[in-house]
Amino acid sequence: MQNAIASPLESIAGFATLLRDHGLKVGIAEQQAFVRAALLMPVERAARLDAAWRAIACQDARDWRRWPELFERYWHPNRLKGGVRVSGQTRPQRDLRQVVQTLQESLGDSTPRREPSSRALHTTLDTALDVPGHELAESGTPRAQGGASCAEALHDRSLAEWLPQDLTQLDQLAERIARRLRERLTRRWRDHARGTRLDVRRTLRASLKTGGLPLAPVWRRPRREKPRVFILVDVSRSMETHAQLFLRIARAFVLAVGARVFVFHTRLAEITPLLQRDSATVQEKVNAVTAGFGGGTRIATSLADFHGVHARAQLNRSARVWVLSDGFDADEPERLAEELAAVRRRGAQVTWFHPSENRPASAAMQAALPLIARFVRLNSLRDLALAADVLH
Amino acid sequence: MDDQALRESLHRAGYIADEGLATTLWLASELQRPLLLEGDAGVGKTALALALAQCQGRRLVRLQCHEGLDLAQAAYEWNYGRQLLAIRLHETTTERVAESDLFSRDYLLERPLLTAISSEQPCVLLIDEIDRADEAFEAFLLEVLADYQITVPELGTLTARHVPLVLLTSNGTRELSDALRRRCLYHWLDYPTLAREIAIVRSTLPTAESALVEQAVAFVQRLRREDLGKTPGVAETLDWIRALHRLQMKALPDDPQALMATLGCLLKTREDRFQVGPERVRQLIEGRRVVGVAEKAATA
Repeated sequence: MQNAIASPLESIAGFATLLRDHGLKVGIAEQQAFVRAALLMPVERAARLDAAWRAIACQDARDWRRWPELFERYWHPNRLKGGVRVSGQTRPQRDLRQVVQTLQESLGDSTPRREPSSRALHTTLDTALDVPGHELAESGTPRAQGGASCAEALHDRSLAEWLPQDLTQLDQLAERIARRLRERLTRRWRDHARGTRLDVRRTLRASLKTGGLPLAPVWRRPRREKPRVFILVDVSRSMETHAQLFLRIARAFVLAVGARVFVFHTRLAEITPLLQRDSATVQEKVNAVTAGFGGGTRIATSLADFHGVHARAQLNRSARVWVLSDGFDADEPERLAEELAAVRRRGAQVTWFHPSENRPASAAMQAALPLIARFVRLNSLRDLALAADVLH
Repeated sequence: MDDQALRESLHRAGYIADEGLATTLWLASELQRPLLLEGDAGVGKTALALALAQCQGRRLVRLQCHEGLDLAQAAYEWNYGRQLLAIRLHETTTERVAESDLFSRDYLLERPLLTAISSEQPCVLLIDEIDRADEAFEAFLLEVLADYQITVPELGTLTARHVPLVLLTSNGTRELSDALRRRCLYHWLDYPTLAREIAIVRSTLPTAESALVEQAVAFVQRLRREDLGKTPGVAETLDWIRALHRLQMKALPDDPQALMATLGCLLKTREDRFQVGPERVRQLIEGRRVVGVAEKAATA
């Protein structure tokens, strides 16, 4: 059994690889901190390394929630239920207590609480990290246990096949898109150290404490605003398989950019307040809102309601209207173009997201074609990542 | 001081920390890294810094962040008035005042960050609600948090005499930069478990009846599972039990109407007050929960 035990630094490097595979930002500095924490921790309290490493590796609440499962999977795979054993394959033994003890004996000069010299730590860590990534992955990730998890596969997976934990990647993507949205200048001014206009009143006020000498001039520059995003999600029967995940995407944008979200099929209803907090009952509430809508899809009627009532005061040239729909409209074909033209007249830019391979080809959509700035296919995370380049 | 001793001394200072938090604090102190605390409002982030300073006998230096917070309010500011006065005074005499005299420590007004850096004794630096400050200020903090130093162009770089124990808190109203997060250890403070919350209340309100404390904390724990806009934190629990104690209650009453007037301590929005009516309060007191349309009795 002894020969199956991986070296402590390799074990830690393998653990770091697993964490990176699951989106945690664990670089060399964090691995060095892992080793330092292990050297500082008395051997008999090695179990407390869980909390110490968690504080080092996690950077936000998302990482924090994911940690216990990843830690258990790597260090205590036997405790996890539902693991798949592959017969005849040896799994490297990992024992935290042993890792701490071996580390302290090899690096810590037999005094467990002594800080190792950083050069020694660098050299040893570098040697450990020279192990090619794929070898570490084989020894460290759950592949050996049959529980495959590969970021690339998820990347291409259709939205309908996502698991709940995969959706955390969506939030990161939404934040990236939100950051890329082009800011627009407004007519209002705000204080800014590198501003171009002197705020005479505030400069004079500030000069009082320096005996009237304006030593600290106050500068202003025009305020910039992110565009206002409106998301309209089609929840009709034809979109049944996609609507739930489109709503999740919409929720990600509510959190990332403060988007307003509406659902429609025969009528339109705003659901932004329902998406603003994380609640297990969101889907039930959305269902309750749309329960009495009846069959069919009336996109034009819903759009009229949208620009005439709900978003009447907010649709301007900095507004972005994202419609998530397959484009099958039960209204008269020409009405969709009329309503979209009304939205365009207010200056808003319309983007149409469709789940199908090709852009919607219904008669209504054909007429509305010139009014839509761009069509974006949206059926996987890769589609959304590609859309990030054109959404601005 | 190891993590267990730290936990006990925090307990003596009135803060009941779990093992994970104690280990993280110990590690932050050993590695001399700042600790970023996140969690919902009212879970005890700021209270932790106060208790930590108290139990370690250190001075607490607090920087409350807000929008528009700048270097002059956070780190240092030149005392222009005093500098002008010095110039005027020297004008009456024949000797000239040197520029280097005017830009010395005598004319530097220390704000919290510089106070913590130049403190003669080790201190605890609390940077409260960092998410409320601007991104530019966050970037300035990087130098302070990474190297415990502040660069004043006229004086040079001032390095900490004693590395302060830095705690940053955030309520998540704005996403913090990766650069800041990477410089910090991280801990998510969650709502306490039933046992820990009872211990917290008992340590803060030792005179309250034991039955009242247990029933009221169990009530709040059940209330947190409701779909509320503003989930009550530990501070709200303490307020509420303090109010009940003042009303001479020995245990939670069976009649929900008697509690309705005090629920303002726990429920802070109109929607939440509307959602938790007398009938729901009765169910929460009795420990029943609603599953679909049916009520289920609480499991022991």
